[in-house]
Amino acid sequence: MSDNNRVAAVGVGYSTTGRRTGLTSRQLAVQAAMAAMTDAGMTPQDIDGATMLWAVAGAAPPGLDVVDSMDIAYMLGIGPLNFWNSGAGPAYIGPAVQAVAAIKAGLCHTVLSMRVIRQRLTTAEMLAQDTDANPEYADDDRQFVMPFGSVAPLQAIAAMPAQRHMDLYGTTEEHFGRHVVAQREWASHNPDALFRTPLTLDDYFASRYISKPVRLLDCDYPVDSASAIIYTTEERARNFAKKPIFVESTAFSSVKYATFENLDDIYENSPVHCAKTLWSRTDLKPKDVDCVQLYDGFTIIVFQWLEALGFCGRGEVGPFVAEGHTAMGGSLPLNTDGGACNVGRRHGANFCIESIRQLRGGESGVRQVPDAKVALWANAVGPFSGAMLMTSE
Amino acid sequence: MTSKAAIYPPLPLPNEMTQFFWDGCQARKLMILRCKGCGRYIHYPRPVCNGCLSTDLAPAEVSGEATLYGYTVAMQAFHPYFADKLPYTLALVELVEQAGLRLTTNIVDVPEAELTTGMPVRLVWREVAPDLVLPMFTKAAS
Repeated sequence: MSDNNRVAAVGVGYSTTGRRTGLTSRQLAVQAAMAAMTDAGMTPQDIDGATMLWAVAGAAPPGLDVVDSMDIAYMLGIGPLNFWNSGAGPAYIGPAVQAVAAIKAGLCHTVLSMRVIRQRLTTAEMLAQDTDANPEYADDDRQFVMPFGSVAPLQAIAAMPAQRHMDLYGTTEEHFGRHVVAQREWASHNPDALFRTPLTLDDYFASRYISKPVRLLDCDYPVDSASAIIYTTEERARNFAKKPIFVESTAFSSVKYATFENLDDIYENSPVHCAKTLWSRTDLKPKDVDCVQLYDGFTIIVFQWLEALGFCGRGEVGPFVAEGHTAMGGSLPLNTDGGACNVGRRHGANFCIESIRQLRGGESGVRQVPDAKVALWANAVGPFSGAMLMTSE
Repeated sequence: MTSKAAIYPPLPLPNEMTQFFWDGCQARKLMILRCKGCGRYIHYPRPVCNGCLSTDLAPAEVSGEATLYGYTVAMQAFHPYFADKLPYTLALVELVEQAGLRLTTNIVDVPEAELTTGMPVRLVWREVAPDLVLPMFTKAAS
C-alpha cells in the first residue's frame, strides 16, 4: 500500500551464541547491539529508542542477571531515549512491532530492538533441583493442567496439536521428518548455524520421542543468544551503510489468555487471525513472497503458520512440505538460515535478520534466494503471535 | 531428595474462584462454573461470563461424558513425580455439555493403539495424593 511514512530496518547483529557461553545477559546484549550499529554504520547518537524482551529459555537458575532496554541503551551511550519498552508481546515480534509502531507514531525516529535469552538448565539439572520448573504446587490456571503432567511447554504447544493434525488430516511423522531434513539442508550451508551436518529421514526416525509424536529433532535448541535489529524512518534510512529493507505490514494477535491447553482450537489459533490481519494491510499476496521464515520452536508451529498464511490449504501442509516446496530449490524457500532448530533459539529474531539479509542480497552465499524482493517472518503461536512482511523496494 | 515434588504431582493451590472445583473432586463430582444468565459453562473459572457478561455464576455438575479432543503419549518426564509413570497419556477431552468446553486430563487404562481423536471417553476418579482426587478419563462403551 502507498505509505509515505515507512519504517526500514538498517542494521542487524548477533552476539556469540551457544550453550554455556559464560557471558552475562549484559555482555550478550552489548555484543549484539554493537554488531547491529556496526552493520548499519551508525553511532549511538543516531538512536533514540530501545525495545527489548529478555527471557530465560527454561527454568531460571538462581542469580541470573536480567537486562532491560534502558540499561542496554545507557551502557552503550544511547540516549536520552524518546521511547523504550522492556516487556509485552510474544518473543522477538513484540519488541519488533513496538519499534515500528513507535517510529510510525512519531514517538522516536530510530530504535534498537532486541531479544536476549539466557541459557536454561538441562532437563537433568531441573529434575535434580528445586527450581521453578520443579514445583510442588500449581497455582492460578496451572492448577488445571500441571497435576495431570502437562508440565513441559512442548506437550501442549506441539505434541497435542501435532497428534490432532495427524488424526484429522492424515499428516504423518514422515511429513514432520521431511521438514526437519529440508531445514537442516539450509543450515548445512550457513556458517553461523550450530548444526550443519545434513540429516536423512532415517536420522529423524532414530531421534527419540519426547512426547509423541514430537521427537528431539522437532525441537529448537536452547542457547545463550542476543539479537539486535535497528529500525528507522525511510527518510533517515538512506543515510546508513546498508540497503534499507522496508516494513510492508505487521500484525499482532491475541485470541485468548496465556494458555496452550485451553485454546478454543489447539491447532488453528492466533496465527490464523494474525495472518488475516497481515494480508489485510498490504496489496501483496502469498504468491508474491520470495522466502518465508517461520518460528520453529517445534515443527508443528511451522506447519500451523504455512496453513494460516495461505501458502497451502487447510490440512494440506504435510504433503506440501513432503513435495519439497520449502526445501532448497523449492517454490517457497523456508527458514533459509536453518531455523531455530539449527541456529539456536533466538525466539524469532533470527527470522527477522534472515529476512533482511535475503532482501539485501549477497549476504547468504548459496542460500541466497534469487532476486528476493519480499520476505515474510512470523513468531510464536497459540494464544499470541505476530508477523511481519518486509520488502526490498 | 525427599521433596514433595518426587512423591506427588504438582498439587493444585485452590483460590476463591477454584475452590469449588477441587471440593467437587474430593466428593467425586465434576463441577464446572456456569452462567445463570445464559447457561454457558466457563472453564477455567472467571468472574464474568464472556458470552453475556453476567456475573451471576454458580458451579454445576456435569455428566463426565466426553470425547477425546487431543492427546500425547509422554515419553520423557519434566517433573520428578512422572519419572516412573512413563509413558502416560496427557489429553484434552471435550465435555458433551458444550462445544469447546474442555478439560486437561489423563487417559487411563486405554492401550496406546486404541487412542483416536474423537473417541468417546468417560470420567473415572483417581486418588494421586492424600486429599487429592483427580478427574481422569477412560474409553467409554460406544
